Amino acid sequence: MNAKTIQLTINGEARSVDVGAGESLLHLLRRIGFTGVKNGCDEGACGACTVILNGRTVNACLTFAFQAAGGRVETIEFLGNFENPHPLQKALADEGAVQCGYCIPGMILSAKALLDRKAAPTDEEWSLHLDGNLCRCTGYEKIQSALRKLVAAQGGDQ
Amino acid sequence: MSVFKDFVLPRSVDEARAALKQLGAEGMPVAGGTALSFLRHKEPKVAVDLSRAGLSGIAAENGGFEIGAMTSITALREFAAPGWVLDRVAHRFVTQQIRNQSTLGGNITRVFAWCDFPVALLALDASITIASDTPRAVDADEFFAGQPVRLLKAGELVRSIHVPAVRAGEGFGYRKHTRVEADFSQATAAARVKVEKGVITGARVALGASIPMPVRLPAVEQALVGRKGAIHVVNEAVALIGTRTWRSVAGFSQDYIRHLASVAVADAITDAWKAAVEGRA
Ligand SMILES: Cc1cc2nc3c(=O)[nH]c(=O)nc-3n(C[C@H](O)[C@H](O)[C@H](O)COP(=O)(O)OP(=O)(O)OC[C@H]3O[C@@H](n4cnc5c(N)ncnc54)[C@H](O)[C@@H]3O)c2cc1C
Ligand code: FES
Ligand code: FES
Repeated sequence: MNAKTIQLTINGEARSVDVGAGESLLHLLRRIGFTGVKNGCDEGACGACTVILNGRTVNACLTFAFQAAGGRVETIEFLGNFENPHPLQKALADEGAVQCGYCIPGMILSAKALLDRKAAPTDEEWSLHLDGNLCRCTGYEKIQSALRKLVAAQGGDQ
Repeated sequence: MSVFKDFVLPRSVDEARAALKQLGAEGMPVAGGTALSFLRHKEPKVAVDLSRAGLSGIAAENGGFEIGAMTSITALREFAAPGWVLDRVAHRFVTQQIRNQSTLGGNITRVFAWCDFPVALLALDASITIASDTPRAVDADEFFAGQPVRLLKAGELVRSIHVPAVRAGEGFGYRKHTRVEADFSQATAAARVKVEKGVITGARVALGASIPMPVRLPAVEQALVGRKGAIHVVNEAVALIGTRTWRSVAGFSQDYIRHLASVAVADAITDAWKAAVEGRA
């Protein structure tokens, strides 16, 4: 591996990391400890590896680490944890919208990227923005109702 | 992922071009980077990342739109202006993540069978500007007459794409068939139709995904022009798609792919004709 150093911001923290020229952002993030980023298919089909790069969701498996140079990356670790969950994490847990959980970090980041742009998305906007996150367990209904309830509880009006 | 042995992060088009010129066959432009896993190289290459080269953005210009090669599919979807129709193509493009990552330039420069934008650009009569020591514009017919990368010498890049606005009296139709919403396209069709006093006076119709490379359908276009718009006219024209080398796709018979293609073309023409008549673009 021909390593080269890049600077980037991960979850609000400026980092300097060595990356391989052909290394994916998915591989880099997991290698340096952000294991909330999941490897589902490694080919852009499932969304388990979703992270937010410069305000937009990307499949980390289809992104080269060097493409994040100078950029801002957000992973699920930025949002919250078991003791201190983010409202999105709490909403999904409360609704029983999480089964095996493998899709959930990506699902939540896609939802966050939309909520960061629009306080009260319509059902159509939710579908469009979450269309790259597959869930094999839940059938999506509970995920959708959790998101609707969260927006309603925050005073959002569709 | 295809393997790169090194990468450079140029800060302008000139820097990117200089790097590519120096690297020759070793260099490879990277736009969104999403297609690199589909490409196999014998020798690892040096990635030249175009994301800082200032090539993204859409401007209304010369009766149409000048789109920077690095403009993301999401930006195409979110843009709105009279005569702008690429949002419809962008809306049906894979997933949110891939719409965010992929660029228009990346989708059209190395064409895979399933690529949607070449089909739309053929129907819309777009032209493609190449950044070079001798900059030039190439019309869509010539650009897509073979694998477009064939036109680029070391150090040359696709800089922008000009798409004429769809005007009053014209309509655009676009159809795409996939097994599930975010799947690779199995049939993509686009049509731009002009109607005057109920008569079709101009038509550009293109098909992709069900055949190895996107093409215009001149026999279909000719069968439409001069006729009064009607469903049976569309069906007669679509019959002229003729025999093609249909792509083999796992789980689809060739006959079904042929069927999907003719349905997509008929629907795209019908949408375009009706939009023209109803003044919707
Ligand atoms: C699972 C999946 C499904 C998909 N399904 C579809 C589909 O149904 N329809 C569809 O249209 N697309 C689909 N795509 C997207 C498509 O296959 C390409 O991945 C994408 O369009 C490439 O865009 P990019 O910006 O990422 O280009 P890149 O991957 O960065 O580049 C692609 C090629 O173009 C060259 N290049 C890029 N920009 C320039 C430039 N400005 N000048 C010169 N050369 C350049 C690169 O060197 C490379 O050879 C799918 C992708 C995936 C991963
Ligand atoms: S692991 Fe990246 S999309 Fe599946
Ligand atoms: S909860 Fe199991 S994949 Fe979504």
